[in-house]
Amino acid sequence: MTKTKNVRHHVVIGSGVAGSQAAETLREREPDARVTILTLSSLLFYNRYDLPKVFRGHRDWREFLAFPAEYYKDHRIEVRRCSRVAGVDGSRRTIALEHKEEIRFDTLLVASGGRGYIPEELADFRPLMHPFSSYTEAVTAAGVVPERGHVIMLGGDMIGLDLARTLVDTRHRVTLVAGPQTFWPHEVDEDERPGLIAALEKMGVEVVEAADAGGIASIEQGARGLSARRVLFKDGTELYGDVVMPFFGLSPSVEFMLGSGTDIERGLLVNPALRTTGEGIYAAGDVCQIWSDAEKRYRFFYGWKNVRAMGELAARNITGGDEPWVPVQDEKLRIDGQGKLQSPFWEYE
Amino acid sequence: MATDIQISIVGSAGDGTIAAGEILRNALAGMGYKVISFDVYPPEIRGFGKCIARMRITTEQAYSLKHKSDVLVSLDDSHAIAHANEVRDCGAVIYEQGSIVRLPEGGHMSAHIGPGQLPYPLPIRELSEKSTGANRSRNIVVLGFIAGLFNLPAEGFRKAIGKKFRNKAAAVEASEAAFKAGLDYAAKTFKLDDVSFGPPVATVVAGATVEMINGNAAIVRGALDAGIDTFFGYPITPATSIMERLASEMPKRGGRLLQTEDEISAISAVIGAGFAGARAATSTSGPGLSLMAEMLGMGVIGEVPAVLFVSQRGGPSTGMPTKTEQSDLHMAVYGGHGDAPRIVIAPTNVDGCYRCAGKAFEMAEAYQTPVIVLIDLYLSNRYETVVFPARPPFEADLNRRPGKQAAGAQYKRYALGGDDISPRAVPGEKGGMHVVTGLEHNELGRPNDSAELHAAMSRKRHEKLKLALNHPDFTKFKRFGDEGPVDVGVMSWGSNFGECLEAMLKARAEGIRCAAMKVVMLSPFPTEGVASFMADCREVLVPELNYQGQFANLLQANIARPVTRLDRVPGEPMKVEEILEEIRRLAGNKAAQKAA
Ligand SMILES: Cc1cc2nc3c(=O)[nH]c(=O)nc-3n(C[C@H](O)[C@H](O)[C@H](O)COP(=O)(O)OP(=O)(O)OC[C@H]3O[C@@H](n4cnc5c(N)ncnc54)[C@H](O)[C@@H]3O)c2cc1C
Repeated sequence: MTKTKNVRHHVVIGSGVAGSQAAETLREREPDARVTILTLSSLLFYNRYDLPKVFRGHRDWREFLAFPAEYYKDHRIEVRRCSRVAGVDGSRRTIALEHKEEIRFDTLLVASGGRGYIPEELADFRPLMHPFSSYTEAVTAAGVVPERGHVIMLGGDMIGLDLARTLVDTRHRVTLVAGPQTFWPHEVDEDERPGLIAALEKMGVEVVEAADAGGIASIEQGARGLSARRVLFKDGTELYGDVVMPFFGLSPSVEFMLGSGTDIERGLLVNPALRTTGEGIYAAGDVCQIWSDAEKRYRFFYGWKNVRAMGELAARNITGGDEPWVPVQDEKLRIDGQGKLQSPFWEYE
Repeated sequence: MATDIQISIVGSAGDGTIAAGEILRNALAGMGYKVISFDVYPPEIRGFGKCIARMRITTEQAYSLKHKSDVLVSLDDSHAIAHANEVRDCGAVIYEQGSIVRLPEGGHMSAHIGPGQLPYPLPIRELSEKSTGANRSRNIVVLGFIAGLFNLPAEGFRKAIGKKFRNKAAAVEASEAAFKAGLDYAAKTFKLDDVSFGPPVATVVAGATVEMINGNAAIVRGALDAGIDTFFGYPITPATSIMERLASEMPKRGGRLLQTEDEISAISAVIGAGFAGARAATSTSGPGLSLMAEMLGMGVIGEVPAVLFVSQRGGPSTGMPTKTEQSDLHMAVYGGHGDAPRIVIAPTNVDGCYRCAGKAFEMAEAYQTPVIVLIDLYLSNRYETVVFPARPPFEADLNRRPGKQAAGAQYKRYALGGDDISPRAVPGEKGGMHVVTGLEHNELGRPNDSAELHAAMSRKRHEKLKLALNHPDFTKFKRFGDEGPVDVGVMSWGSNFGECLEAMLKARAEGIRCAAMKVVMLSPFPTEGVASFMADCREVLVPELNYQGQFANLLQANIARPVTRLDRVPGEPMKVEEILEEIRRLAGNKAAQKAA
């Protein structure tokens, strides 16, 4: 930790795409400022869209890092890992970390993303599910699925469907229990859905519509001699698999911002310049809802490229810019000529 | 897979840092790993001051501690933070996850973990309180976590805990609960670092015993195995534990130990006991040695066997009592008035402490003189795995007794001639009546200050010591590394040799032709052997832990040739990298000369 008086201290909460891109831009635009990233993660920034690779046998975290440790030293970006923000005091410009340390900031960028959403009725079964939102969760899940094992995927957002592609490719069996969150964050019209589901089946994914079976009744340990997990439906039908993985989309991580003096709906509300209602506080990435003049509402913009662009824009605006947000990727889910799903969400340069 | 892992535990006095280190190294040594460890603790007893337990665990023999640790455990961030940068990339930092008091910015370990290092926050206090009802066992929680994280057999730890708290059932019970809490937490922790222990390689030597022991304990063991009869001493860091251990061990073997009122009394009593024929010793540090200087001269002129174990610390005066230094070499070799030669030997590792301690009694007796065994805090407190022989390798009696006197002949305690060692009678021995005084004397011991006698006796006192250069089964010096001519030769003594040897081996691995020599016998100086080594060296590097280059001075007083000095006074062991850098620089000189 370096402490220098009279230099601006830009603090970024979150070491995901948005936060990491913002830190780099802040460093470029203000070479003398202090730039600190606070993150829950024990690892430096990695691209989460790489995580399905763990099912191809890539388990060493070093392979996943977007930048080596030297990058942070060279760019003089302090990264405080395993540091949970518990609260933000916008008027005093201080951040309280859960371990009781207080950090002063001149500007704050909240890029705390979102975490896997679990519907209320399934919350009790959380311990029996294997989430897939971080490297450690991905490796843990991959560790319990045997070769050619059976993965039961609940929900089926685009993160899950990306993983499903890899799982099918690596000769695992995938059963998708589809529901309203299938294809999240893409908004899919009623009439489009059957075609998209068919495309999934063509991809090799077995699809069960949860609603057809009356919804999920419970998730249980598999019976002895059978698989590790059982999903029981309300109509009495059941599914056995080696692992149950929830993919119900993300919900923004904003709880620590309550009381900070910023407006929150589901995410942090920001104007098109990504400024929150708190003085000197900005937000970018999955955590924020941006005012859309065209739609006259605050809305989320998902997808890796959008999020990175938001991080960069927020940093530019923090350092004197005043540019509005323009999405950089479209949001349409398509089926290509060969009947395959095509999502802008899945494009990695 | 070869194991080479260094773990540092840093805390405040009272946190149980040193105790955790002791349990950990005993557990690991018990599993069959080789361990070198060195603890640093504050002069204050409790409440503040930094404590560090640092250990290097290997399967191959190591000679020093590493500059970078693989694992850092913080029991108190206010002390441990300064050591965060000593952890290598991909090494682990284990620390208290949450504080119970508000912290200023930067007051938590997480602020200091470099991007290359791996953080392991742990609710240490909470786990201790939940498992034992108190936060006292935080150190043991951490040991459980280490055992779990690195997949080490818990049984080895449980044994070491049992040994540490033997006779304290409540402490064992609490520790076992705390250990399990740490172990269970580790089972839920995702391992990220690349620290991994390979299988240990057990050392098997027929009849021998393998033990983890520190330098002071090895001194004690050597003294006991050499049959020490009496000990007189006055406590002083870092030598105190020599006296403490002897106090518990000697009475069991019929020996006697007395804590005198000061160091002057201690050395006086040792000389009295030596005069009476006992194997007698004292232990002290630099300040105590200063006080003993006058009576040391008495031992020299009286030709009385006496053994002094001297553990150096940072000086002068009270200096830095809990910091290591090699700055009493001048004092040990030359200190005192008059021409007062003495034997000074300086072991370079813990095994050497054992051997030198035992051999010191042999030499004191054989050459009728005080012998100083010179170590330092680093060696006193350094733990190593030592293989002890089945039978002590020391002679029980090397006294030269007076033969039968010719009728009417007077017993000459200080007879001149021969090999300069006169027969020594002990008080009460028939026909052995004689006078011992601090005054210059004739062969009978009667005061006499004639020029001829003073010259003859001075010569005798100096010449007889040269015989020690051939003392049997004793390594006076030893060469390591490349044979024949080398570009760089590293000359070293005492505790610092491990770092020098390691640096030399690294330099060799880089393709530099080099060798190292340890000199154990500092007085009398083994000039011939050392000179022959130096003649092989294009450059001679002398790293030592004092400001004046005291060993380099000693070298140059005996062998006239230039050397490169590397004198450091950090209060802690020298860094291998620093020595290596200097070797590289000196080796590079040749390339530069050639290029020119
Ligand atoms: C497994 C997976 C696969 C994905 N695949 C794709 C894909 O293929 N294509 C695509 O476009 N998008 C994909 N996404 C989505 C994409 O990764 C996200 O849109 C993007 O990561 C959002 O970035 P972000 O920087 O806003 O937040 P995140 O990446 O979610 O980062 C949030 C950061 O905030 C930190 N944080 C949260 N709360 C706190 C707190 N209280 N204190 C301190 N730090 C905190 C977290 O530790 C983390 O570092 C995937 C996401 C996941 C999880």
